[in-house]
Amino acid sequence: MLKIEHLTKTYGEKKAVDDLSLHIQMGEIFGFIGHNGAGKSTTLKCAVGILQFDAGTITIGGKDIRVDPLACKQELAYIPDNPDLYDFMSGIKYLNFIADIFAIPAAVRQERIRKYADLFELTADLAQPISAYSHGMKQKLAVIAAWLHDPKLIIMDEPFVGLDPKASHLLKEMMRQHCDRGGAIFFSTHVLEVAEKLCDKVAIIKQGRLVKVGTMEEVKGDDSLEEVFLELEAE
Amino acid sequence: MLKVLLKKQMAEVFKSYFYDAKKNKMRSKGAIAAWFVFFFVIMVGMLGGMFTFLSQSMCGGLVQVGMGWLYFLLLSGIAIVLGAFGSVFNTYSGLYLAKDNDLLLSLPIPTRTIMAARLLNVYLLGAMYSATAMLPALIVYWVTAGVTAARVICGILLLLIVTVIVLLLSCVLGWAVARISLHLKNKSFVTVLIALLFIGAYYFFYFKAADLIRDLIANAAVYGEQIKGAAYGLYLFGRIGEGDWLAAGIFLAVNAALFALVWGVMSRSFLRIATSTGAVKKVRYVEKSAKQKSAFSALLGKEFGRFTSSANYMLNCGLGVLLIPAVGVLLLIKGREVFGVIDVFLAVRPGASAVLLCAVVCLLSSMANTVTPSVSLEGKSLWIPQSLPIPPKTVLRAKASVQLILTAVPMLFAGICAALVVDTSPGIKILMCVMPPVYAAFSAMFGSFLGVRMPLLNWTNELAPIKQGGAVAIALFSGWGIAFILGGLYLLIGYKIGAAAYLLIWTVLFAAAALLLLRWLDTRGSRLFAEL
Repeated sequence: MLKIEHLTKTYGEKKAVDDLSLHIQMGEIFGFIGHNGAGKSTTLKCAVGILQFDAGTITIGGKDIRVDPLACKQELAYIPDNPDLYDFMSGIKYLNFIADIFAIPAAVRQERIRKYADLFELTADLAQPISAYSHGMKQKLAVIAAWLHDPKLIIMDEPFVGLDPKASHLLKEMMRQHCDRGGAIFFSTHVLEVAEKLCDKVAIIKQGRLVKVGTMEEVKGDDSLEEVFLELEAE
Repeated sequence: MLKVLLKKQMAEVFKSYFYDAKKNKMRSKGAIAAWFVFFFVIMVGMLGGMFTFLSQSMCGGLVQVGMGWLYFLLLSGIAIVLGAFGSVFNTYSGLYLAKDNDLLLSLPIPTRTIMAARLLNVYLLGAMYSATAMLPALIVYWVTAGVTAARVICGILLLLIVTVIVLLLSCVLGWAVARISLHLKNKSFVTVLIALLFIGAYYFFYFKAADLIRDLIANAAVYGEQIKGAAYGLYLFGRIGEGDWLAAGIFLAVNAALFALVWGVMSRSFLRIATSTGAVKKVRYVEKSAKQKSAFSALLGKEFGRFTSSANYMLNCGLGVLLIPAVGVLLLIKGREVFGVIDVFLAVRPGASAVLLCAVVCLLSSMANTVTPSVSLEGKSLWIPQSLPIPPKTVLRAKASVQLILTAVPMLFAGICAALVVDTSPGIKILMCVMPPVYAAFSAMFGSFLGVRMPLLNWTNELAPIKQGGAVAIALFSGWGIAFILGGLYLLIGYKIGAAAYLLIWTVLFAAAALLLLRWLDTRGSRLFAEL
């Protein structure tokens, strides 16, 4: 579904991502972990088409993000690390805006908005301006917006930050169901316990370079993911 | 602490002078110097020059009849209006709406220090504007009446008093706007309405000012005695500039007392207002049947939503939308009379009325520039259009369309009004209706071009991209420049080919430039937007 080959991205002199290759298959929840400034967000932004990169290729469903960005974006959804949404809109206006962009028919969008907003207990607040939302509410709205067009690939940067335990649990369930239906999820996290329980595959990045990748069993063996991560960090 | 905060505030105000957002790095020393020279030329050269001329025309006569105090009273009044007018909304948004209020309040900084830094910033900006009127007034007076120690020291004290009055007025009005906003639902529109009332009053006095000043100078002795008798305080205020120590002392003391009072009132409510989300009445969501829109319509709706959600945006970038049709109506009422006089005056330049009218409409449209700050206003939400499956050119076209919709129709209306009152051929009348909307198209494209080329995305106060960005300044001044060239060139040589041919050439030029810029936006501009 998502193929990243020899990705390199530099900011001035600094190499943020250095020759990174990853392959995320349909049906996989793929966790991406690394220390602060390791290059996780940069990789995710390159995969979404927000950031231009210096070398390598990124394909989504076989289509090159640089050659056909719109077709790629049509198949994916992205949630950034900080949900800076349009504060001047109400929640429902934002969801309708996203639905219009993806040309979701009125009846379908209404049914999906009802379903997800009820799940996240956000329905009553949908008429409120986003500026009045808490960080967690914005994050919930960003999650609903991401699921709204039923994308094949969902890319998320620290999606659990700001969510209450119930919403976190719900999001984990939604991620699993999405992949069980044949979708794929690529997300970064610092919560290693979540990654360990949730992910089918995991990649560890350090200073822009991939240091370990594979199924959860391959990466951690008999240790915990935290132990493996700390060991790799110490090297 | 105060110094650090003030440094941060000023760095934000002048950020675009030091930092090149496009290249994401600091500007070179040469570029910084060039930007400051540009700023200096505008402030000192244009505004200062205007007030030097005004001071010279008033000072000699009033000083001769011993009415120096009236001269200072008038010039101080102008300086106060200029300074306060420019900073009322700065106070409101800079003090209460700054995005880093929460951050600063969470740090171990006393609230009064945060408030002091914000107010010092308001003070310096207000002082900058009022000084462009007061400094020429003082210098002209010293040259005309002669220099003495008392005059110089009291003159400087008068400047200080004027700047503090500007701060006091800005604080009171900004605080009032903040208090009103707390209790309003459609606060953007109400704030715009209040501001429009201010602006209406400002322009009313501005247009009346020339007559008032002329009348005052002609009857200086009579009015002078009346003011002395009925409003001795005003006389005393004017006396400060003449070197009256007692008057200076009294006003310094009054100013200090008033400032203490205003500070006390504001500091009691600062925390509550700054951390309040306002009167957001809980609106319960009721499901309604949604209507599917095209991506372009959705983007257009989003841009209109952004425009109408912000009083700052509407006031600073949309004033022309109201002014242009207002001028059209004014033309219908007074146009024939005015153009009868102009036609006689410019009899050797046939068709000048038609061309000058078009130039005026173009000039006014520079006050309706929603598109230039539009890219910058995406700010931290820029990831949304960049990650969605919409071509960047559609995003940019939606932004340009908002301006086009807001300006082309009023400009067409003003053009029709102008064509109705000007006594000219049907061909010129048609061109008078066609050229303004074509200019609106050019202006929308040019504004988009500047917005994409010079974005300012990392802001903490939305006034930064709306008012302080280099792109906005260039859009405004180039709009003025084009209007002056359009009118001036006709009076110089254009009349030789006749108004019809002249207007046709400009219409074709604007149309061609608009098309070229649209092409640029669709190609290179879109690439730049995608890479921001």
